[in-house]
Amino acid sequence: MSDGTELDPVIHAQARLRVVSALSVLREEDKVTFPRLQESLRMTAGNLSVHLRKLEDAGYVEVTKTHQGRTPATFVRLTRRGRLAFEEYQEALRALLNPTSPSTSSEETL
Amino acid sequence: MTQTSLTLCCKVLCVESDDDKPLASPADSLALIAQERANLERDLTPDPRWMFWPWGFAWLLGFGLFFLRFGPDGRVFVDLPEWLPLTVLSLSFIAAGLITGIAGGRSAMQTRGPSSRQGLMYGLTWSIAFTGMGILFAQYGDALPDDRLGLLWAGGMVALTGALHMAGGAIWNDRQLFILGAWTSVINVAGILVGPGWHSLIVALGGGLGMILAGLLGWLRLR
Repeated sequence: MSDGTELDPVIHAQARLRVVSALSVLREEDKVTFPRLQESLRMTAGNLSVHLRKLEDAGYVEVTKTHQGRTPATFVRLTRRGRLAFEEYQEALRALLNPTSPSTSSEETL
Repeated sequence: MTQTSLTLCCKVLCVESDDDKPLASPADSLALIAQERANLERDLTPDPRWMFWPWGFAWLLGFGLFFLRFGPDGRVFVDLPEWLPLTVLSLSFIAAGLITGIAGGRSAMQTRGPSSRQGLMYGLTWSIAFTGMGILFAQYGDALPDDRLGLLWAGGMVALTGALHMAGGAIWNDRQLFILGAWTSVINVAGILVGPGWHSLIVALGGGLGMILAGLLGWLRLR
């Protein structure tokens, strides 16, 4: 697990990477209902809640509890900070895959 | 600086643990990212089959019956009751409107924010525009011969459909939707110029099958 701590540890856990990846489909300021997200990710509600809490603590997602008519509804969205972290994480993955690409070498000279 | 050292560190560690930690491989992670993105995108998009096929079949059937009963130069290819084509067309349009309204509304309920507002405004645009056009055309009920009146209604409706599809393509940067709208607009003009009767046939086949194809391609793209 040692390599897990090197990339952004919040996103590196596979379950949270899946959550953030799915949320990254939404346009900024758009949010999705909790049940829809849960179904799409094929996770249990409890499991998803735990990971959302951790992502929320890191400031990567925003969870809003509201009402649709009389039924309570929970909406989830990726924050700007979360989007940025996700993009950086993806760049790091690509750099690992493709160490000779120009973007990596420029990163190393920084 | 930290980013650089983290990346380097990671690179070294990953090279070392490449074979015993297959789940940690960057390629697997990138594949997982792509998969989850595709899943949610598909789940949030209304099924293109539900959005296009009801209309495609409504046009095919409704305008097809018009062609058979009210053919070019007053020809009657199939001696159907006079009221039948318009009744079938109206009922299938109402059914298609309900189906796409429910399918679009259900998917809009899954999200909140600018995108669902855009979808709502686009949906309302269709209803308001068609109502306005219908009210205008209804004023000409007595002023035109039947075949000309039919062409006015059908040509106007098809023109508006084409325009709204092109606008939808512009709003969502959806080339396929724009092409569908442009295609519909062009065959509509061709049909109008050839005259009543032929217009029904051209719109039934070109427009109806065009929408069925659009639904199929959209579905294949998401699958």
